Amino acid sequence: MPSRRRTLLKVIILGDSGVGKTSLMNQYVNKKFSNQYKATIGADFLTKEVQFEDRLFTLQIWDTAGQERFQSLGVAFYRGADCCVLVYDVNSVKSFDNLNNWREEFLIQANPSDPENFPFVVIGNKIDIDGGNSRVVSEKKARAWCAAKGNIPYFETSAKEGINVEEAFQTIAKDALKSGEEEELYLPDTIDVGNSSQPRSTGCEC
Amino acid sequence: MSEAEESSSYPPIDPVSFDLIIVGTGLSESIIAAAASAVGKTILHLDPNSFYGSHFASLSLEEITSYLNSPPKSITAAASSSDSDYAVINLIQQPLLSDAELISCDSVDESTFLLENSRKFNLDLGGPRALFSADKTIDLLLKSGAAQYLEFKGIDTSLVYNANEGLVNVPDSRGAIFRDKKLSLKEKNQLMKFFKLVQQHLGDNEDGKISEEDMESPFVSFLEKTGLPPKIKAILLYAIAMVDFDQENGEVSKDLLTTKDGIDRLAQYSSSVGRFPSAPGALIYPIYGEGELPQAFCRRAAVKGCIYVLRMPVISLLMDKVTESYKGVRLASGQDLYSHQLILDPSFTIPSTQSLSPKGMVARGICITRSSIKPDVSNCSVVYPPRSLYPDQVTSVRALQIGSNLAVCPAGTFVLYFSTLCNDADEGKKLLKASMKALLSLPVSGNTEIILQSDSEDKKAVVLWSVIYVQKLTMSKFEAISSTPTPDGNLNYNDLVDATEKLFNQMYPDEEFFPKTTSPEDSTDDDDDNGIIMEN
Repeated sequence: MPSRRRTLLKVIILGDSGVGKTSLMNQYVNKKFSNQYKATIGADFLTKEVQFEDRLFTLQIWDTAGQERFQSLGVAFYRGADCCVLVYDVNSVKSFDNLNNWREEFLIQANPSDPENFPFVVIGNKIDIDGGNSRVVSEKKARAWCAAKGNIPYFETSAKEGINVEEAFQTIAKDALKSGEEEELYLPDTIDVGNSSQPRSTGCEC
Repeated sequence: MSEAEESSSYPPIDPVSFDLIIVGTGLSESIIAAAASAVGKTILHLDPNSFYGSHFASLSLEEITSYLNSPPKSITAAASSSDSDYAVINLIQQPLLSDAELISCDSVDESTFLLENSRKFNLDLGGPRALFSADKTIDLLLKSGAAQYLEFKGIDTSLVYNANEGLVNVPDSRGAIFRDKKLSLKEKNQLMKFFKLVQQHLGDNEDGKISEEDMESPFVSFLEKTGLPPKIKAILLYAIAMVDFDQENGEVSKDLLTTKDGIDRLAQYSSSVGRFPSAPGALIYPIYGEGELPQAFCRRAAVKGCIYVLRMPVISLLMDKVTESYKGVRLASGQDLYSHQLILDPSFTIPSTQSLSPKGMVARGICITRSSIKPDVSNCSVVYPPRSLYPDQVTSVRALQIGSNLAVCPAGTFVLYFSTLCNDADEGKKLLKASMKALLSLPVSGNTEIILQSDSEDKKAVVLWSVIYVQKLTMSKFEAISSTPTPDGNLNYNDLVDATEKLFNQMYPDEEFFPKTTSPEDSTDDDDDNGIIMEN
């Protein structure tokens, strides 16, 4: 039985401001990168069709829209996520230390039915900066944290150079799909009725 | 992390000057944030709470319990001073909600169940509330882009209570009239004839119009003239036109609805039925509760650059020492921020000015049950017309039952919301209790036995937990420091949306309220993504 859960997958990207969440999304979906950083304005969500075993899915990747800056993402943002991507900047210890807070915040707000097995993916971004010389969080340290949190898949990327971004999102998509299929389906069959929203004749239909 | 730690760990807010600062993330504040952001205003949107929605929030069971037991305290900061360049005036917050009465059943099993599932509840503070499928709130959701973050489901059926028959269906469409088992053939014909009259009036043909004189007369007189029986009249007035006050008691009748307004409401109701094929009735409800609506508007605003800071109380206002005009706010963090205009949620008052004039109050109630008030129906609305519960009941009571398929409660439970307008807390609470007792078996404090086993005719749904509280009503106010309206006593959001749009137009007379043209950055949004999403 086809259902919304199996064709539309919601992925949310969390992490401190400035770690490259929007850039990663843009690199993956639009193959674009902008060097000019400004706190996210105008980013909402991006969608991408992905194929798995002859089936097409729509990956809906939600940006924080800047609401993470003062830890003010509402519960609505987290609802119904099929995969949560945690991003830090390998050149910033604080952004790595905060992964734990973001993970906990996600588990509290999204309240997934099986928190032990909810799929996270961790991304260490900006490996290109200064040829890697300004790096302060080692891959070993990051991998150790991921292992301790239930073997979270880990990727090191450069959104700027497009390094490893595709690979990371393939895992994200695969895990989202698995989680979407296992989820209790208490909200089946979404119907988009936007088309019938045009004003109708105002006649009394009784 | 405690809330205090979190807010003090916030980096300073940058920039420090905005076009508009908004305090509170209720529906009106959030709509204005989205609308003003859409036309390029710079906005800082603050909320002292850790959650979005203010008085339109949907909360977990634990959250709502603690919120109602200890509503936000009046903020008392250091005495007003004028050591800076500005006169500093402390802001006073007065809770809108009061007189909360909580009851939970004594069963240990059920209490444990509720505690363990607390977060599976999304309980509306401002309930009962729903949207008519054809009302202007839907248009606003589409026009603003907020609809793309929301999903809805239809309310299965609309019911009306009467003392003799209990719950009966509202005959709100041809099919419903035809199928109705409680209406006589004569009544069915009368009703069909009446709807035909209305349809003719709304049609293009000049011949079928209701006379101008009738249109200005009270709707109740018009209904009497058409010879409809009292039962049908009550359904049309209170369950379809959703009138609050008794229309047939000369002494207490306030606000008699005119025929013109009555016809408009009927038209809205009937054009709502069937607008969305998957919605069986006139009403729809957002999955996860009404608290999703303000959050959707806030996200729209954030996407356009509005800055969001939760857990950040505003403690005082900064006023120009000479002109006494508004300049900015001082936050709990100690930071001073400036803006041209300020909007405060209606729980705030400024000491030196007149407080918002109260416009009566609304009593609200929430019950959690183990079974539906109507077999085989999960989501339904109920109206108790005036005099249906006791002779001196002068206002309608509205109720809404929402089941777990709308993700507001765990499987196997239901949430019921009740509300009625009232002049004082006792009157409102008495009426809500009577309406609950008519359909539900309420826990009696001190009595551990649940009256379930008695196989009597009285198989009412058993209430596991309930609360009744009273909310003040105030209107919006436009000044240098503006106020948004409180949640009103209506079932839908139309009046609130109107008041919000009016406030926006007063603040920004040259700007359009959600201009139609979308900027290029929105081009990634597919057009068909902007539709209302309905769950079957």
